[in-house]
Amino acid sequence: MSRHKRFWRAFRFALLAVALLTAGFMLYLDFRVRSEFEGRRFALPARIYARPLELYAGLRIARANVLDELREAGYRDGAREGGSGWFVREGDGIEIAVRPFVFWDGPQPAKRIRVAFDDSAVAAVRDAEGRDLPLARLEPLPIGGIYPANNEDRVLVRLGEVPKHLVQALVANEDRNFYSHYGFDPRGIARAAVSFVRGNGRQGGSTLTQQLVKNFFLTPERTLQRKFTELGMAVLVELHYGKEEILEAYLNEIYLGQDRDRAIHGVGLAALYYFGKPVEQLTLAESALLVGMVKGPALYDPYRHPQRALERRNLVLRETKDRGYATMEQYAAARATGLGVNPKASVGTSPHPAFLELVHRQLRRDYDEADLRSEGLRVFTTLDPRVQGAAERVLERKLAQFDKEKRFGAPGLEGAIAVTDSQTGEVQALVGGRDARYRGFNRALDAARPVGSLLKPAIYLTALAEPSRYTLVTPIDDGPFVWKSRGAPDWQPANYDGKHHGAVQLRTALAQSYNAASARLGTELGVERVLATVKRLGIERKLRPYAATLLGAVELSPLEVAQMYQTIASGGFRAPLRAIREVTTQDGRPLKRYPLAVEQAFPSEPMYLIVAAMQGIVREGTAQALKNWLPPESGVAAKTGTTDEQRDAWFAGFTGDRLGIVWIGYDDNRAARLSGAAAALPVWGELMAMLSPEPLAPLKPDGIEIVLIDPESGLRADADCTGAIELPFAQGSAPVERAPCSSALGVVIEAVQQRAKSWLERLFGN
Amino acid sequence: MRTLVAILAVLIGGCAVVQLPAPGPDPLPAPAPTAARTENAAIAGLLDGARADAASGRLANAAASLERALRIEPRNPRLWQELARVRLKQGEYAQTESTAARSNSWAGGDSTLRAENWRLIAQAREARGDTAGARAALEAADRQR
Repeated sequence: MSRHKRFWRAFRFALLAVALLTAGFMLYLDFRVRSEFEGRRFALPARIYARPLELYAGLRIARANVLDELREAGYRDGAREGGSGWFVREGDGIEIAVRPFVFWDGPQPAKRIRVAFDDSAVAAVRDAEGRDLPLARLEPLPIGGIYPANNEDRVLVRLGEVPKHLVQALVANEDRNFYSHYGFDPRGIARAAVSFVRGNGRQGGSTLTQQLVKNFFLTPERTLQRKFTELGMAVLVELHYGKEEILEAYLNEIYLGQDRDRAIHGVGLAALYYFGKPVEQLTLAESALLVGMVKGPALYDPYRHPQRALERRNLVLRETKDRGYATMEQYAAARATGLGVNPKASVGTSPHPAFLELVHRQLRRDYDEADLRSEGLRVFTTLDPRVQGAAERVLERKLAQFDKEKRFGAPGLEGAIAVTDSQTGEVQALVGGRDARYRGFNRALDAARPVGSLLKPAIYLTALAEPSRYTLVTPIDDGPFVWKSRGAPDWQPANYDGKHHGAVQLRTALAQSYNAASARLGTELGVERVLATVKRLGIERKLRPYAATLLGAVELSPLEVAQMYQTIASGGFRAPLRAIREVTTQDGRPLKRYPLAVEQAFPSEPMYLIVAAMQGIVREGTAQALKNWLPPESGVAAKTGTTDEQRDAWFAGFTGDRLGIVWIGYDDNRAARLSGAAAALPVWGELMAMLSPEPLAPLKPDGIEIVLIDPESGLRADADCTGAIELPFAQGSAPVERAPCSSALGVVIEAVQQRAKSWLERLFGN
Repeated sequence: MRTLVAILAVLIGGCAVVQLPAPGPDPLPAPAPTAARTENAAIAGLLDGARADAASGRLANAAASLERALRIEPRNPRLWQELARVRLKQGEYAQTESTAARSNSWAGGDSTLRAENWRLIAQAREARGDTAGARAALEAADRQR
């Protein structure tokens, strides 16, 4: 065999081997392309919505609040342009073109309404023809999502919804030969090379198909092998799929910017994010801006680099015109417009991460994490943007003020707020720290802090449930108190003012939050019994049965405290705190409701008594300072809480419609030197004053009678007693003995009555 | 003569008792006389919708409408009662009882409403097999006169 022949044989073998290897590799790529492309569904985040604003005559809301909410929802102010999504102020009212929306209970078409206001309430709601509408529901604000990996967010669009000029601008600028090439474009590569050599900068020679493949299947590293893989896959994708399918996938996949931690993908979401409108409505200029950003979303970010973005857009417009996709007039008109991007502040994955976390946790009880991050579920929550916004602002402002006054240095004071609907247990607002946008330690849910006196109402409620032994005026000894138990050091609670107050009335002991009297009462009742009350009020955490637990040597989160006080606020009817109302699929099919559930944990009578005692805390006790924010007629019931060395300042209180819990302290547990009354109370007061609260006026149960009492002696008073007060008592438990202040005549009359009675009895032999 | 004085004293005493509750300067907020407010149009609309939904078996929708109404007027005992009725149809007997009890807590002097709540409680107990409890609830309904 000649050398020549041997060489050719080896060569043919090598060729065959290469061909086989290549074929094998292509088969593998083909398998990947088909399985992944076909099985591919874009992961869609669960979308979370606030509560919808329901407008009706009599709703207590200022016009400014409604305007805020409309602006937040991206409604345009001032011009009657387009079918919906705008509002016009007229006189004292607003005309609103409400957008269509698919609610849990079905779709609601676009509609025009007129809302009239008087004295910070809605006076009337009418339709376009001037007829009264009993109720008008606005679409709920989106407040974030639960996102797939890398926090990718997108709104899927069909190719048919995308304006032609957007597609044309894209093709003209990114891949001129898109409609004719087979996945790669030698002319494009040559052009890019020439441009590079001439020093006109780098131009991507990648086709749209290659870009799509790169985003879909590959990691961003730049190696020769990866380039070949990309090329192979692009050809295979072209082989299997039509240009339209590829284009549609591309338009939904393309990365178009970053909103804090949220990645904006696809033209559908980009249109909403940058321009506040659906993709169908994008103009040529707007489309060109998006197309321009394909090259470098950060580089051409219209918010951070408006000038560069504008120049880039105009370049895209010129190219579009040069390729014959736009006339000179269209080009000139588009060029003359500004960037036109939404002024809306960036929100990231959510503007209210603390509340979103609560929603996420409640959802996780019923849904797989993977489904939450990919199925595009729509979740309708209880968040009230007005309450949430107010809570965030007040906490931020007050903490800054306290920091300044205290000068304790960094890190500054922290805080948390929970606000609920006191009757239904819906969570209206949740603030997890002073920087409400920061998605970090969520103090409202996860900061378990000693609650101090916040547990005291449970002691007094346990007592008042036994009216034969305890009423609001029963004397309690506030003298020095020592609790001895085997194996534990003696426990001797001191009062906040360091004094002891002798025998005080039960209501006063609570109003002034006396520790010695409360500890004595609690141990008299039995620690276990008080803890049973705490549990019935809704605290699920197991509490240690120590006497010190009575005075709050127990750690709870603000949300747990809210659950406990919710039961008191709604008259003994415990309602589990809820953040979610309904969940639907992506296209609006109802999946699950989270219904309002109540459970009667206590009879009405003791609840009425404890609420009256807690109103006393505000009227004449440790929460008196509340009068600086709310008038006495509000009848607020509340409790302050302060822990050892003032590490934690708490305030828990409720009006007729809302319950609020405020905690303030340092994360590192430093002594804050701020009491509940000094720090948490002002936050609560300022917040509630902003929300025009409904007065608290519990309905008197049958088993309760109101009796005039001399506040000094705690005995029965009459008209002659100046300063006498009305107090509620369980039927038959009110004191019989008359106060010294009651009129002499009254005493005489009583004696005479007594004699007359016995005389009558004798007469009738009864 | 002594008799006359005594009778007089009883009369005066009676008057004195009637006059007694002169409010002090620092009274508790007066409890609302009745919780049932005049129904506004929004409530009426939601209530009608809920009844129609309940009648045609769309119980979840009926409950959702009633909850919407309760967010507007949480103290309206009729709404709580209607919700209890829906819960009964849904077979949520524990919720029927507690929701009817919630209605009672806002019912004030409306004995008809209370009696109906007790009847709902009786039905829920009956459905759960608690015959004695049901009988007690029916007796409570009869007492609301």
